[in-house]
Amino acid sequence: MAVTSHKPSTFAQYKTLLLKDLQREFRTRDMLSSMAIYALLVLVVYGAALSQTGRQFDILQMSGGLLWALIVFTSLLGLNRSFGYEKEDGCLEGILLVPLDRSVVFLAKATSNLVFLLLVEIVVLPLFYFFFLTTTAPAPTWPMMLLPLFVGTVGIAGIGTLLSTITVNTRGKDVLLAVLFIPLVFPLLYACVSATTVVVAGGDIEGIFMNSVLLAAAYDLIMVLLSWVLYDFAVSA
Amino acid sequence: MDRSATKPAVGGLADKLALVLLATGTVLTTVAFILTFTVASPVIGAKVSGVELIGDQMIGNQLLLSQKIFYFHMPVAIASMVALGGTAFFGIRFLMTRDAVYDMKAKLCTEVSLVFILATMATGEMWTRFEWGVWWTWDPRLTTYFILMLMVFGYFVLRAAVEEPERRATYASIFGIIAFVDVPISFMITRLIPSSIHPVVFRTDSGMSPDMLVPLMCSLFGFLMIAFGLYRFRVRTEALALRVEAVKDQIDE
Repeated sequence: MAVTSHKPSTFAQYKTLLLKDLQREFRTRDMLSSMAIYALLVLVVYGAALSQTGRQFDILQMSGGLLWALIVFTSLLGLNRSFGYEKEDGCLEGILLVPLDRSVVFLAKATSNLVFLLLVEIVVLPLFYFFFLTTTAPAPTWPMMLLPLFVGTVGIAGIGTLLSTITVNTRGKDVLLAVLFIPLVFPLLYACVSATTVVVAGGDIEGIFMNSVLLAAAYDLIMVLLSWVLYDFAVSA
Repeated sequence: MDRSATKPAVGGLADKLALVLLATGTVLTTVAFILTFTVASPVIGAKVSGVELIGDQMIGNQLLLSQKIFYFHMPVAIASMVALGGTAFFGIRFLMTRDAVYDMKAKLCTEVSLVFILATMATGEMWTRFEWGVWWTWDPRLTTYFILMLMVFGYFVLRAAVEEPERRATYASIFGIIAFVDVPISFMITRLIPSSIHPVVFRTDSGMSPDMLVPLMCSLFGFLMIAFGLYRFRVRTEALALRVEAVKDQIDE
């Protein structure tokens, strides 16, 4: 009896890898819970940092920056751990033994990182509002901040996936990830902060908001494509 | 030993050229330095309130001596960016060929770039202090160039953090290529964001008279030649060190 086997489609491979990541995470909720608690602690630190500011202090102008600082530090924590799991029990070696395109590994990993970051943001955003913005009235355009939030998170997940793959094999990986990651996401961060601030505090939506989001999206595109191309080398090194 | 063909040659055409270029570059930058302070006309800065007697001359505008910084600041900045282009180029070559020579060359390009980046930062710092009156401002050009410097630091931190040579070379190449993305951004940002206070120099209507353009060009090409000379001499040093290692190994055997 002839044994027939067929090569699974690229999308099926992607789906399997992504589901593996999601399943592992939702079984233990290790990474999500530590990221959420870390984010909460950063908010507590903000509370102390802003406690001596005056009553007339314009929190709305600063909220975009504070929120993005929170996202960057929280994502650093998550990215550090996301690839650490692959190292345990030789999971990565197993994946690399499978005859699949390495870029699929990148896409799956970047998507799972994106999902985790978005989940954490869903928790953090109301908390941020609860702690700092209830006494103020954000501009009515505030729901538009979801756009830069999404665009920025895509870039962070893309760049972060490549860099965490690199740093997982190095000495002092936690620090090294920050050293490489923060300068690389800086342009993205800058654009996203300006877009977020404009819609929260009110201002030139047409000009600044659209320009910043376009700038962030363009940087995303370049960085994610580059990371995608270079991932093969990084993961098999 | 067919790989010896790809080892960097010592004493070849490139090394002779490096010596000539380094010497020419030194002469050119020296000439530029002298011309800057003798020939190049001073730039008229902010208006002095009314006509005042400054240095026995009746002057309506203050003439800026600090503008002379520009003749060194821009050339070293361009040289640092060109050197980083070398990092990215040799990074790509390494990933294509897996030849350790390209990784070594990429590292040396980054080293040369770091020297010029520090020179740019030092001159830029003087400029912001004396022209703009601040030590630092988060201007788009300053910011993007600053993160460029941080990435070059990161490049060396990354190299130091990986033990295996093959893996270190791959990671460094990848990071060198990604970091290069910031170079065109930093170069173009003053054009993209018109509110930037940093002046745009590369343009057809820059308003520079020949007495300013000549020292600038001397300085620019001089520093580029020095950059190449430094890079080539570093390649030579590394190549000789590798050869010494190889000879040592042979003696041990």
